[in-house]
Amino acid sequence: MYYGMLAELTGQASEAWLMNENLTVGKLRTQIWDKYPAMREKKFKIAVNKHISEDSLSIPEQAEIALLPPFAGG
Amino acid sequence: MVNNQRISVKVVICLLLNQNFQLMEKIRKPKKVFVQGPISPQFVGDSIASHQSKTGIGAHAIFLGQIRADQKESGIVTGIEYSAYEEMAEDAFHTIRESAFEKFELTCMHIYHSLGIVPTGEISLFVFVSSPHRRAAFEASEYIVEEIKANVPIFGKELIGAEGFVWKENK
Repeated sequence: MYYGMLAELTGQASEAWLMNENLTVGKLRTQIWDKYPAMREKKFKIAVNKHISEDSLSIPEQAEIALLPPFAGG
Repeated sequence: MVNNQRISVKVVICLLLNQNFQLMEKIRKPKKVFVQGPISPQFVGDSIASHQSKTGIGAHAIFLGQIRADQKESGIVTGIEYSAYEEMAEDAFHTIRESAFEKFELTCMHIYHSLGIVPTGEISLFVFVSSPHRRAAFEASEYIVEEIKANVPIFGKELIGAEGFVWKENK
């Protein structure tokens, strides 16, 4: 799922991501950069099943992944 | 002998039940935080009034976030359009609420945040904490606001003119 400016940049609010085995958050980030080069210039955090995750985390199957631009609450 | 054992087993079960009961009491249900559009001064006033029956309270602290008409390169901000990863945000608000109750001596706590468009000059965040004494209320309100700014996935478009906008980022 894409939020904020990232939804505008990718032109969609969500998409299914075909994953290979042992996909980590770090590898996913690289795949996202490959598909959407403009994302390289954007700051974003990756949440896996609603938790902000480190690059080393292995992504489980059927995970809900959200790309979150900087927070602006308040 | 046999009887004694039976009795001791019963006591253990009661203790366990009692512990569980206390645990259940401590777990607070997630509350609804998001409201559509601005938070009205009327709503803030009504919230204060609804606490007059809780006479153990000696201090309320209220934080209100108001939309500023910042000058940007492309013009003056006329409002902010908020969106959120709502499910994760509700979880984050719940975590903040639990840790604030743990850290500070609070009687109650309410957090409201806007979604959608909030024009400049209007309220988008309402944090309301109540305590027997002032110190806990002051400190908790600051803690909660800082936690919201840093850890809740809320996004904001600063609206400029008829169609322009700039994405907001908390510092």
